[in-house]
Amino acid sequence: MIDRRRYRWTELWLLLLPSLFMLVGMTTLLTVQNVLGPPCAPVTASPIGNAVITTHNLLPPLDALTPAFGLIAALAGAHILLNIFAPDADQTILPIAGTLSSVGVLMSLRLGPCIGQSNLGIKQLVWVIAGLIACMVTVRFTRDLRWLRNYKYTWAALGIVLVGVTLVHAHSFSTNAPGRDVLSIGPGGLSLQPSEILKICLVIFFAGYLSENREMLASAYFQIGRLRLPPLKHLGPLLAMLGLALVIFVGVRELGLAILIFGLFLSMLYVASNRPMYVVGAVLLFAFGAFAAYHLFSYAQTRVAIVANAFDPNVEPNSGYQIVQGLIAFGRGGIFGTGLGMGKPYFVPASNTDYIAASFGEEFGFAGVLALIGLFMLLVYRGMHIAVRNRDSFNQLMAVGLTAVFALQTFVILAGNLKLMPLTGVPLPFVAYGGSSVIANFIIIGLLLRLSENTA
Amino acid sequence: MDFSQLTANPDLFVLLILRVGLVVLLYLVILQVVGVSRREMRRASSKEYAAAMASTRAKQTVGHLRVIDPGSTNVKPAQLFDIEPVTTIGRAPINTIVLESTFVSTEHTRIIYKDKSLWVEDMGSRNGTLLEQKLVTQPTAVKPNQILQVGDVRFKFEV
Repeated sequence: MIDRRRYRWTELWLLLLPSLFMLVGMTTLLTVQNVLGPPCAPVTASPIGNAVITTHNLLPPLDALTPAFGLIAALAGAHILLNIFAPDADQTILPIAGTLSSVGVLMSLRLGPCIGQSNLGIKQLVWVIAGLIACMVTVRFTRDLRWLRNYKYTWAALGIVLVGVTLVHAHSFSTNAPGRDVLSIGPGGLSLQPSEILKICLVIFFAGYLSENREMLASAYFQIGRLRLPPLKHLGPLLAMLGLALVIFVGVRELGLAILIFGLFLSMLYVASNRPMYVVGAVLLFAFGAFAAYHLFSYAQTRVAIVANAFDPNVEPNSGYQIVQGLIAFGRGGIFGTGLGMGKPYFVPASNTDYIAASFGEEFGFAGVLALIGLFMLLVYRGMHIAVRNRDSFNQLMAVGLTAVFALQTFVILAGNLKLMPLTGVPLPFVAYGGSSVIANFIIIGLLLRLSENTA
Repeated sequence: MDFSQLTANPDLFVLLILRVGLVVLLYLVILQVVGVSRREMRRASSKEYAAAMASTRAKQTVGHLRVIDPGSTNVKPAQLFDIEPVTTIGRAPINTIVLESTFVSTEHTRIIYKDKSLWVEDMGSRNGTLLEQKLVTQPTAVKPNQILQVGDVRFKFEV
């Protein structure tokens, strides 16, 4: 079943590194516990000399090794299945996603006991395994991508239904807490983020729509003075997308999701038409929309005020707490970080979800954050590489769109963490804790693998 | 962490090694992926080079077409196309020169080399082929620097 000449040796070699990362990470956590005591207690000045080993709150070695070997086994399983399902697919994507997920599992394992959810790491590990299974299912059953294209309006409808559900649901919330687009299912506390599935549906729809209309979008136009505009009927979908983004911003109050959808559409539109005018025009429209929203909705003003005056105790008392704690976490990390398990990132609210980058920044430092950004950049590079190598315009646009999802999400949440723009509840792909997000991102990885297999 | 403590307590030394090792591993992933990408690129470019060499040996070039106005296609202005003994221009990927535009028919124009001269011929296109702004109705001999229009794309014949 496995062709020996086409065996994915590169991938196997690359997967060794996240496996090693996971093992070293778990060893670090265990050693920290044994040397410095439980990672959550305020670390006393220097318990040097005779290592104090307290029995409570410590991970027994077996419990610590389960997640490490669980993740390694899951990655190895995915590697073997890929050899059967898609032997010619890109060999670097799975290792990159695997490295990012092992960072996520490690951070959840480390933060869980400190924020009162001792099984957080195991839960994240289960999500990663579920994601890898979803990824393999995607690779196996999308051999022919045409069925995605043929049902593009079905996918769009599904996306709109999801937005609708989210909108209705959002009104049952009264707080200003981020992550209001979370749907809870059943009493078990299992929750679903519709926006995660929405973004995949939208990429499929945009790719189908734009690949059919790209010639018209690129060629036909009417002219106002020196301004070349596409015919009005082709402006329709663009304005509809702007409308959808604004509805999400106003209705669900999810600026991050709005930016994600609009940025996604813009990047795909630009690639499809090769007309910078679309981008310029749309960005101007968006700026105008944002300006109007800022003046119309007090919610928007509050969000901006929180960021702008985070350190000013008089303007927004206590509301800048999270942002300031996040910045302090980054600062405490310095260049090389405090070391895994040796910092106190759990002081930041939502340290395992929205502020996972700050937690990571505190313990791995500037060097670690740079490496993390580098990994995301490589993921984006490989995605664009797959797009370039594809011949079919639908496949090209799919690859561009799926890659843009990663790029935009990373940008939006990192900018939020670093106080460069208002914080929005967009998860950092693969690293932030959350089932929907991890599974959706692995489905995207599955689609990218399929797209690269079909060109090889 | 104080360095004098490191020598006093070997556990702290182990921790330091583990700490550095973790970040180094992340950079190793990046380095390895970049290395794989570089090797891939080099292999692809050497393959392309070999293919280009093979095709220049096989093909015979009898003239050139310089793009003057790319119209609505994605060809570049001043881009140079080779004219082979039989050159076809059209929208279909099978053509020698592929022009992706709604104004260009699937098989639009043919240029053939006969009796030491180039002849332009329309292949029954919807929008016609124009040579020096005159519609081409029968095979017409061309001279250098004459303007050929296919759809909304204009070329100049060069030697």
